[in-house]
Amino acid sequence: MPSAEEIRERIETAIPGARADVQDYTGGGDHFQATVVAPAFAGLNRLSQHRMVYDVFGDEIGGPIHALSLKTLSE
Amino acid sequence: MTQEHNQDSNPIRDAITQAIDQNPVLLFMKGTPEAPGCGFSARTVAALQALGVPFAAVDVLPDARIRQELSALSNWPTIPQLFIDGELIGGCDIVTEMYASGELAQALGIESDGAQAESELATASVEPAPLSIENRLA
Repeated sequence: MPSAEEIRERIETAIPGARADVQDYTGGGDHFQATVVAPAFAGLNRLSQHRMVYDVFGDEIGGPIHALSLKTLSE
Repeated sequence: MTQEHNQDSNPIRDAITQAIDQNPVLLFMKGTPEAPGCGFSARTVAALQALGVPFAAVDVLPDARIRQELSALSNWPTIPQLFIDGELIGGCDIVTEMYASGELAQALGIESDGAQAESELATASVEPAPLSIENRLA
């Protein structure tokens, strides 16, 4: 079961220049809420920005990570 | 009697594609608009109902393959998924953010009018799901 801290590190490692704030929504280790700020999001619509974050976790979304609620910003 | 299917055919994917093509506003969700099976689906339904826009809904829960095929098709891992005019708009986060900013009303081609949206909250019309994908496989 991933921790909020692990999710933050993985997002920041995978997306260049990203800063993430990740909360464990329920304390149960499977519903997370993340705000991600990354210059790499510039020029992308929200759908593409969210996909970039989801892509970090692949099949884990909907599996071990039941839900990852996102807010993305380019700066 | 069960009909034999060609091994290469994918009736679930075909039904999903058809539903997306045929319904200008289509929500894939857990449960139904009347009884959402998940808070994220419930919030997305609430945003659509607050705008008073008719929409079709497909419940992904009856058969896990619906969700698998949908996510493969849309390249989007979670449920709900809102499609407008055949295009994926996003999930709960994006829909609620767009609702708050007025972009959702714009995408739906309706005038953004807070007072009107408020009054129609309780009476928003909901079209029944156009197809029950799971029934095709029963």
